[in-house]
Amino acid sequence: MSHTAPALETRQLVYAVDGKVILKGIDLRVDYGEVLGIMGASGSGKTTLLKCLCGLLKPTSGEVWVEGVNIAPLSERERMPLRLRLGIVFQYAALFDYLTVYQNVAFGLERHRRLSKAQIREIVRERLAWVGLEGVENLYPSQLSGGMRKRVGLARALAMDPHIVLFDEPSSGLDPVNAYQVDRLITRLNRELNLTAVVVSHDVVSLMRTCSRIVMIDDGQIIAEGTPAAIRASEHPKVQAFLQMASAEAL
Amino acid sequence: MWLDEESPRRSHPLYATLEFVGALGVLLVASLRGVLGGRIEGRETVHQMAFIGAASAPIVALTSAFTGAVVTLYSASLLVDAGGSGFVGGALALAMTRELAPILTGIMVTARCGSAIAAQLGTMKITEQIDALRALAVSPVQYLVIPRVLAALIMFPMLGMIANFAGLVGGFVIANAFGIGANSFLQSIRLLTEPFDVIGGLIKTLVFALIITLVSAQQGLSTRGGAAGVGHATTRAVVISMVLIFAANYFLADLLFAER
Repeated sequence: MSHTAPALETRQLVYAVDGKVILKGIDLRVDYGEVLGIMGASGSGKTTLLKCLCGLLKPTSGEVWVEGVNIAPLSERERMPLRLRLGIVFQYAALFDYLTVYQNVAFGLERHRRLSKAQIREIVRERLAWVGLEGVENLYPSQLSGGMRKRVGLARALAMDPHIVLFDEPSSGLDPVNAYQVDRLITRLNRELNLTAVVVSHDVVSLMRTCSRIVMIDDGQIIAEGTPAAIRASEHPKVQAFLQMASAEAL
Repeated sequence: MWLDEESPRRSHPLYATLEFVGALGVLLVASLRGVLGGRIEGRETVHQMAFIGAASAPIVALTSAFTGAVVTLYSASLLVDAGGSGFVGGALALAMTRELAPILTGIMVTARCGSAIAAQLGTMKITEQIDALRALAVSPVQYLVIPRVLAALIMFPMLGMIANFAGLVGGFVIANAFGIGANSFLQSIRLLTEPFDVIGGLIKTLVFALIITLVSAQQGLSTRGGAAGVGHATTRAVVISMVLIFAANYFLADLLFAER
C-alpha cells in the first residue's frame, strides 16, 4: 500500500441518473489519517458522492481513485475485492435483519478470510468491544436501539480491517447523547487506529467536532473547503446560510 | 452485473419491458453459471428448500386434493350414468399429471413464496441491505438469488409429485362415493396414463420454478421507494409470475403433449 497516493481521490466526477445530473465534476482528495467531512443539505448529492467513492455507484464520467486504483472504469466484479479496503457505515446501519449481531459482524470474515471459528469469534468480540458493545452477540437488530445498531454497523465495517471508513449520516436519527457517543467513537478510532474516515452529514455540530477538514457540497458541486474554523469563517453566502440555519436548528 | 447498479427509471413501456426481459436473462445466466460453477451458499439453499418446498407441501397437497375431488365430482356424475365409470380414475390422472398438479404447484408457490421473495429482497433493497452485501464484496445474485433458484428447482418436482398424489387421493374419495372401487380406479389410471405424463408434468414444474424465482427476485432487486415500493414489487412479482406460468403452460403442453 503506497501512502504517497491519497487514500481516496475523485477527478471531475460526474454522476447522472434519470436525466438529472447529481454530481457536477467533483474534485476531492482524502489523505491517509484525516477525517474529512462532507457537508450539505438533503439532496445536495453528498450520499451519492459517498456511494461513488466506495464503488456502489458507477460514475457517469470522471475518475474515482481508491488507494491508487481508478475504480470508475471497473466492472462490478472487478470492484468487489477493492471494496474490502473500505468500510461503509450506512445511514440506518443496514444490518441484515435476519442475522444476529454476531452473524452480522462475522459476515465478511466468514466469506473472505481463512480463519477458524475461534479466531472469528475473537475478532467479533474485539470489534464489538471497540464500539462499546458487549454481551449483545445473540440479539437481532430489531432488539437494538438506533444508536446500538449504528455501532454494530461500525463493528461490521471494522471487522475486515479496512484502511478507510465511510460514514453516511452517522448521527441522523439519534438523540444528542447517542450522536455525541458516535462522534467520539469516530474521533477515537481515528486517533488510536489512525483510521482514515469520510463522514457525510448535514449535522454541522457533529462535523465540526469530528472532522479535521470539511467540504461543503451544494447542487452537486463543492462550494467551500477547509478546516472547521475556515468553514465557519467562510464568506460564501450559501455556506453562511447553511451554518445559520443549522445553528438555529440546534437551538 | 448491471442489476446490482442503480439503474435509470424507464418510463416508456417498451424500454421497461425490454429491460425486464434483459434482467431476467441476466439473472438466468448468472444463476445457471453459479449453480454449474458450484458457487452455492449451502446454508441459505437448505433454508430456502425448507421454505419453498417443505413449508409449501401442506397447502399444495390440500388444494390439489380438493381440485382432484371436484374434477372427479363432475366426471363421475357424467361417466357413471353413461357406463364409463372405468374411465374416471384415468381421466383424473391425465388431468392431474399433465395440467393440474404443475399449475396448482406454480400458483400456490407463487402466492406463498414468490410474494415473500419479492417482499424480502425489496425490503433489503430499500433498507440498503443489498448495498451492505455489495460493500462486503458479496454478490446479491450469488447470495440471495442462486439459493432460491436452486432450492425451487430441487423442490418443485417433489411438490408436483405431492400434488399428483393428493389430487388422486381426493379424486378417489369422491369416486368411491359414486361406487367406483379401488381396483377399477387404479386400473383406469394404468390404462389411460403413461410414465411420460408424469415426467412431462414435472418438466413443467421446473420451468415454473425458474419463472417464479427469477421474476420475484428481479422485482425485489429493482424495488424503489419505501413501503409502497415493496408493495408494488410484490404485486408485480405475483401477477407477472402467474401470467408467465399460464403462457408457458400452453407452450409446454403443445411441446410435450400435443403429439400424444
